[in-house]
Amino acid sequence: MMVLGRYKCLFWVIIFAIRFSEIQAQPNLDTVRIDSLHQTFDKENTAQPEPMFGAEYERILDKADRAFKIGLYKQAGKYYKEAAKINPNSIYIQYRLKEIENRKSNLRNFFFYFDFEKPDILIKSITYLVIYFIASMLLILLVILIHRNQMDSVEKRKQVLREKYQSLLVDFLFSTDNASKVPSDIKKIASSLFNRRILIDQMIDLSINLSGETKDKLRNLFFALKLERDSIRKVYNRKWHVKVKGFHELAFMDIVEANDQIIRCLQSKNDIIRMEAQLAMVRLGHGDSFGFLDHLSKPFTLWEQLTVYETIMFHNLPIPHFDRWLYSKNKTVVQFALRMIEIFKQREAYPNLFWMLVNDDNEIRNLTIRTIGNLKIKDALPHLKRLYKNETYQNCLAIVQAIAKMPDEKILHFLTLVIDKEEDVQLQIEAAMAINNMGEIGRTALQKLLNSDYKNYQIIIKHVLDKRIA
Amino acid sequence: MDFVFELIQFLVNHFIFILTGILFTVYVMLAIVSAIALRWYIRKNSYVDYNSIILAPLTPSISVIAPAYNEEKSIVDNIRALLSLYYNNFEVIVVNDGSKDGTFAKILEAYDLEKVNYYFDYRIPCQRIRGVYKSKNRSFKRLTVIDKANGGKSDALNAGINISKNDLICSIDVDSIMESDALLKLVKPFMEQTDSKIIGTGGVIRIANSCDIESGQISRIKLPDRFLPRVQVLEYTRAFLMARMAWGKMNGLLIISGALGMFDKEIVIKCGGYSIETVGEDMELVVRMRKYMSEKKEKYKVVYIPDPLVWTEVPSTLKILGRQRNRWTRGTIETLVKHKSLLFNPKYGVLGMLSYPFWMIFEWLAPIIEFIGLVYFGLLAIFGQPNWSFFFLLLAFVYTFAISMSTWAILFEEMTFHKYKQKREIFKLVLTGILEPIFFHPLTVYWSVRGNIDYMRGVRSWGKMDREGFKNHSKKPKK
Repeated sequence: MMVLGRYKCLFWVIIFAIRFSEIQAQPNLDTVRIDSLHQTFDKENTAQPEPMFGAEYERILDKADRAFKIGLYKQAGKYYKEAAKINPNSIYIQYRLKEIENRKSNLRNFFFYFDFEKPDILIKSITYLVIYFIASMLLILLVILIHRNQMDSVEKRKQVLREKYQSLLVDFLFSTDNASKVPSDIKKIASSLFNRRILIDQMIDLSINLSGETKDKLRNLFFALKLERDSIRKVYNRKWHVKVKGFHELAFMDIVEANDQIIRCLQSKNDIIRMEAQLAMVRLGHGDSFGFLDHLSKPFTLWEQLTVYETIMFHNLPIPHFDRWLYSKNKTVVQFALRMIEIFKQREAYPNLFWMLVNDDNEIRNLTIRTIGNLKIKDALPHLKRLYKNETYQNCLAIVQAIAKMPDEKILHFLTLVIDKEEDVQLQIEAAMAINNMGEIGRTALQKLLNSDYKNYQIIIKHVLDKRIA
Repeated sequence: MDFVFELIQFLVNHFIFILTGILFTVYVMLAIVSAIALRWYIRKNSYVDYNSIILAPLTPSISVIAPAYNEEKSIVDNIRALLSLYYNNFEVIVVNDGSKDGTFAKILEAYDLEKVNYYFDYRIPCQRIRGVYKSKNRSFKRLTVIDKANGGKSDALNAGINISKNDLICSIDVDSIMESDALLKLVKPFMEQTDSKIIGTGGVIRIANSCDIESGQISRIKLPDRFLPRVQVLEYTRAFLMARMAWGKMNGLLIISGALGMFDKEIVIKCGGYSIETVGEDMELVVRMRKYMSEKKEKYKVVYIPDPLVWTEVPSTLKILGRQRNRWTRGTIETLVKHKSLLFNPKYGVLGMLSYPFWMIFEWLAPIIEFIGLVYFGLLAIFGQPNWSFFFLLLAFVYTFAISMSTWAILFEEMTFHKYKQKREIFKLVLTGILEPIFFHPLTVYWSVRGNIDYMRGVRSWGKMDREGFKNHSKKPKK
């Protein structure tokens, strides 16, 4: 689309030129001649008042004028001739008929030659559109071909530069020479904007796989070449995709100079800017990487949560106690905290988790139940059992699944009741699975149910005992 | 009598003309919205590293449901390709819909399957499930095969939904080739949902005729050699990149192609699953789900992804293509008639006020109007004296508009996904665009009219869809 952007100006210039030449070639004849006709007609009226020829004559004349105005000359001519039969001496009618003849015989005007019997403006519009469509088609074809050539050559150039810079950077990073001295080859690169872009990309790519001293050396090189100025400039750019690129570069190079601007972007209405600013802050917010969660008012989507999680894992960032955000007013922040508590096995968060079981929001309760189950917090079993009665279907399912993850004989009776009383197959299966997880006691209980006459039990228990069904 | 004739003449002349004008304006507007949306999408996703989420623990679980009917030639390879999709939390449910050939036997043998004691609920009614099969080989633990009595594609999908254990379902045509990262791209909008619930996502379907295939994956993309598939490349590009993208942006999408779509399972079940009464089950489901959400007064979205996610073989003979278009027309009519309460109903928002009327006027009725126009002009030419000058001017207008739109579509493709690398292919596509309105478009009008007639005659069959099969460059699958 960028290339289209570049050529669309040219495109409009051509269209404008075509239209302008048409306007120049054909002055608005209607306006000119109708004005002069009115003058003539006025003179006619004042000098020699036209006698009244009845309503029929006026009607025909009106029709003729209307047809003339919109360019239906054949029709107009027919009406004027009809009117002339009633008033053969009208100068006005004769003038009009002459004008029609003139226009029809005007070979300069291509369209009248064909006599479309349609309003002039319609014919002209359609013709312009046809020209426009043909021109746009040719122009697009040209754009495609230019774009293709350009893309191929840029790609080739990029490839050559990438290879060259990579070897230069690797040589620099792993050489034992003075680290503070920047090789002249690399300095030369930094003089061109295009080359600098490629160089920055290469440095970012390299930084992913580096750590310790080598990474510091790369970072120092970034500063020595003053590339951080490019990245900071990008962060202040008005275009969101440039801004985001700036965030990326600063985060990878651990440059905190533009943190204020990044913090401002944390509340951006643009989802992408907000997400990328969050990711940048996780990397650059030394000491309080997750501080942005305290003030986040926009939804923190699962996708954003996942990218933050990936950043933590990839860069081995310190993991905070996520129960700090369990009481956030932002529901999605609470969900993130619950997920992270589960993933990072923060069992010490249980006292706070407990309160989340009575949260007003169904989804938060559901996630809390799952978190408790995955953390295998057996202390919560009586609470889960108590909650079951008043919970939604999805949460009941989550409770039974959570119980299945922390088998306890004390809960056997409850699970048997679930199988017995519930009509939903999924709940019955999950309850039977939970019983099965209890070991010998559970299997005995299931065997007893299997021997029961009730067919449904048999099918459910066979399903649960079938190890091939994961 | 003269008055009646004049009235008809006036209506036909003006109505068709105005309708054409509106149609062209709408197409142009859709293309503009699509261009903006495409640009935004591509920039947005240029920073996304899909690979990083393959192993992430937070991803939603997906059941890929692939109905299979008489697919013995390719079923083993196709399942293998499905099992190797990039995602960590998914299962593949292949539904053998009572195939009459050796489809089921081939799967049974290739994947070492055995019947399991699978208990499930018929939450959505479907034909009798004869058995659920799992592999003895743990490397195929993601695979579940259902053997059921024949009931059609919708019925097979419903059976798969009944067996599914996951939050999201992804329905696919088993004979299509999915891009390895298709699930990652389809699931992303579900993970990005905020205040509006995402009920479904769909992506672009590309044409695989003449492409090279290796191990169930596209190894080399080529423009189809033959005219018919090539003209469909243009059609698909126009439809997917220039229209559906815009409808997706306006949250007015009425269809997620049956070849690949992902849905929220609970909403699908609450809506009653795929309808077995229509041959356009993909469109009907989306309309029903949207209607359901609107009636529940819940905010929702149907998201469209412009990335090419699935490759399919399109008909390359007039006979098969005619059947396909006939079925599409009938499917559209069935859905529109079934949900007629949506028409200009403000209660349903964009769905009732924009999408439904658009489909009714421009997808269902436009070919009929075009046909009437052609017949009328024919009569005029025989009995009257048509205004030939104006006729040729209008013809030039319509023709140049059509080829201009095709060229724009080629530009969209070039600027976005750039799948056809050779310059020769671009020229071929442009030439196809020039020939399409002359040789192909009249046929689509004819098939559409036939579809209408068949609908009125009560024809409800799917129609036999023979395929030539892909050019497979892979070695024979080993057992």
